[in-house]
Amino acid sequence: MANIIEVAHLSYRYRNGEQDADQRPALNDVSFTVQAGEWLAIVGHNGSGKSTLAKSLDGLLPFTEGTITVGGITLTPATVWQVREKIGMIFQNPDNQFVGATVEDDVAFGLENRQIARADMLPRVQAAIEEVGMTEFAHREPSSLSGGQKQRVALAGIVAIAPDILILDEATSMLDPQGRREMLALVRQLRTDQHLTVISITHDIDEAANADRVLVIDDGRLVEEADPATIFAQGERLTQLGLDLPFTSKLQAALRQRGITPPDGYLTTAEMEAWLWQSLSNT
Amino acid sequence: MAISFEHVSYTYQAGTPMANTALTDVSFTVPDHGYLAIIGHTGSGKSTLIQELNALLKPTTGNVHVDDFTITPKTTNADLKPLRQHVGMVFQFPESQLFEETIRKDIAFGPQNFGMSEAEATQLADDMLATVGLDSSYADRSPFELSGGQMRRVAIAGVLAMRPQVLVLDEPTAGLDPRGREEMMTLFERLHREQGLTIVLVTHQMEDVAQYAEQVAVMRQGQLVKFGTPQEVFQDPDWLQANQLDVPRAARFAQALAAKGMQWGQLPLTADQLADQLVARWPQRGSADV
Repeated sequence: MANIIEVAHLSYRYRNGEQDADQRPALNDVSFTVQAGEWLAIVGHNGSGKSTLAKSLDGLLPFTEGTITVGGITLTPATVWQVREKIGMIFQNPDNQFVGATVEDDVAFGLENRQIARADMLPRVQAAIEEVGMTEFAHREPSSLSGGQKQRVALAGIVAIAPDILILDEATSMLDPQGRREMLALVRQLRTDQHLTVISITHDIDEAANADRVLVIDDGRLVEEADPATIFAQGERLTQLGLDLPFTSKLQAALRQRGITPPDGYLTTAEMEAWLWQSLSNT
Repeated sequence: MAISFEHVSYTYQAGTPMANTALTDVSFTVPDHGYLAIIGHTGSGKSTLIQELNALLKPTTGNVHVDDFTITPKTTNADLKPLRQHVGMVFQFPESQLFEETIRKDIAFGPQNFGMSEAEATQLADDMLATVGLDSSYADRSPFELSGGQMRRVAIAGVLAMRPQVLVLDEPTAGLDPRGREEMMTLFERLHREQGLTIVLVTHQMEDVAQYAEQVAVMRQGQLVKFGTPQEVFQDPDWLQANQLDVPRAARFAQALAAKGMQWGQLPLTADQLADQLVARWPQRGSADV
């Protein structure tokens, strides 16, 4: 598969007045690629640089070193709008990304910006709202919605402009567990329906588990790159990397403390259940 | 008894066409130095309920008792200062309320506002900074240079500087990474255990409810639909799921094993509780080579 994103030797330093000189870079020589259609999770603790990375990809931060190529276009001040056409982004706080007075207006905003004719716009807006299951709320004020519903509306705005890439920047972290599960299910569905490449910046283990590949950012550097099971097998180190431990890892640790030796490495819930069932039936 | 609700109802914009009942006949009690978790779907009345605790909202009918204070529909705003000092409220994203030039000044603002001298308030601010786990080198820095998690600690230090006896927390870990969440929850646990603070925690994190709370209130459409210990409330996962509430992972896992035929005494709520029960029934314990 072709690479839809190529990042090479990317560095970025925030400029905060006088403290500039002794400040470490927020991103330090980061290189990686993303294949078209892939779901990539980027994890790291608060302040690791993962959100800086996401913003760099969308041209929201003027990085000084390195190159970013999106869909064959090298990101420069001159091409930033072409690159943004290809990327839809959803941020952590749903309240910070609404402009429309109603759900419908809000979803239409991206299309208006692209000067889509009204006759084409209306069906696209309706289809997008339907795709995320918010049709009955089309005429509601966004502020009257729950957090999960707001993020759905934000997703509808992205569906309407049909980008190639969806970036979720901790987009589920403010939702309740049910809202989070629903949003992830919706992203999985959109990924198939719309052939999206998904990049999710997260510290939610369930969200990372959806990914094909996980990048770990620590202190501005890319420190690890592997599939979720390999990452999840690292036990306590996950906490330092800004991820929660999978429940099975917690249970493995609790059993080891009590003198029982479960299999090493990451076990899925089903594998853990099967192993326990077998061990306990073995009387 | 630290907190007691007696048939509390609350209607927003009562007596207008916009009237909207947010709490209906809510009654419960929390013992001295208790730890209450309030759970419920978005819009179930959790936020309304906690605002009754320091009379930001006064009951439309019924009474609220918090230690020696009583809040009734007739309570006037004139004498709320001692109550507001007694009940510390940490709202969602409290870091958005920071405003001072330095962290020390920000924490000292509340106590000074309540009449403490600048010298005393400054000393208190330094103590509170240590309590929330930030060293004294932070005191003269701007709160706006900090990370989100550190800013939240400063905001919480500002609430603690009022020396409240009841601490009300509205999703205090939202948006923090797992390590930040754990540090925050450990801080509240310590305040609860060492200083005897009564804690009221609004949360969606069932793991935290299982691990820290002594009592759980489940709200639905403005009504208190379940009240009890975490054991009692989580005992019925089907009921919780029907109410769109999660159960702790350990309980879910135990349920899955129960479906295969495993019998549990008490439903385990944490990995440790689950491991304890598993170990107790482990075959050939301690004699693996027999």
